[in-house]
Amino acid sequence: MGENVTAIITEIKNISSGILNKDLTTVRGFSERQLEAIAKQTALIQKGVASGDIDEDLREFFLDGLEAMTRNFINTLKGILIVTIEKLWNAIISFLYKAVGVVV
Amino acid sequence: MKVIKLHISLLALLGVFLLSGCEATLAPAYDQAIVDKVNVNSDLAMRFFASVNEGTESENFSLREPVYNQLIGAFESLKLHAKARPVPDNAAIEKINALLRSKDSNPIAGDYPSAFAFEQIAVTFAHMKKTDREQGLNPILIEAFKGQVEVYLDQAITYESFLKR
Repeated sequence: MGENVTAIITEIKNISSGILNKDLTTVRGFSERQLEAIAKQTALIQKGVASGDIDEDLREFFLDGLEAMTRNFINTLKGILIVTIEKLWNAIISFLYKAVGVVV
Repeated sequence: MKVIKLHISLLALLGVFLLSGCEATLAPAYDQAIVDKVNVNSDLAMRFFASVNEGTESENFSLREPVYNQLIGAFESLKLHAKARPVPDNAAIEKINALLRSKDSNPIAGDYPSAFAFEQIAVTFAHMKKTDREQGLNPILIEAFKGQVEVYLDQAITYESFLKR
């Protein structure tokens, strides 16, 4: 009984680690790209405003844009997290059901 | 502290699912047609930015107007296409949102982040078109419009690709 429980826990850990490692790599790459791009965009707008290449109206447009893109970056991360949770749940429940002989 | 909060939330979310049934569908379905259309139009957008990267004059705006219209139409259409998929009507999502609110976090948006990104890309091209028509575009403005489009494209492509599970 004890060995079975240990085997089940090990398998659940393996399933979880496999999914999390793969998904977190994607999330890390996405986050790094986004943060770098948003930082570059901020610096570019500062430069454009200082040089006069970006006027008052466009300054407002780009500032609103920075806020909206940052908010949507967070929402994208939340969306990705939901997919990961769904994958984790379905993989674990599928394994557990199979372990007790039920086809999901 | 935030990390601990997140872990507690994740464990609680898994707990919610444990109590809520077997197979779960929490996110919308993957749609290859959306991904294909994004790839085609992001390619068109980047080629357009490359063609104007040295700046434009309002006098010859009419030469570029058809490309603006094509891009605005394509991304508006992508927004509709992305939103047309049903959001999983799931009791678990409501429980997640209740949990997030109780942890002082914003709920998961009912809207798709990709649909919002497509909409903002269309808005960006519409604003770029208006500015180009009225005063032409200097290289810094073009770079700023391009930067905004690139950030949204990355969000949309990453999310839509991630739905393939």
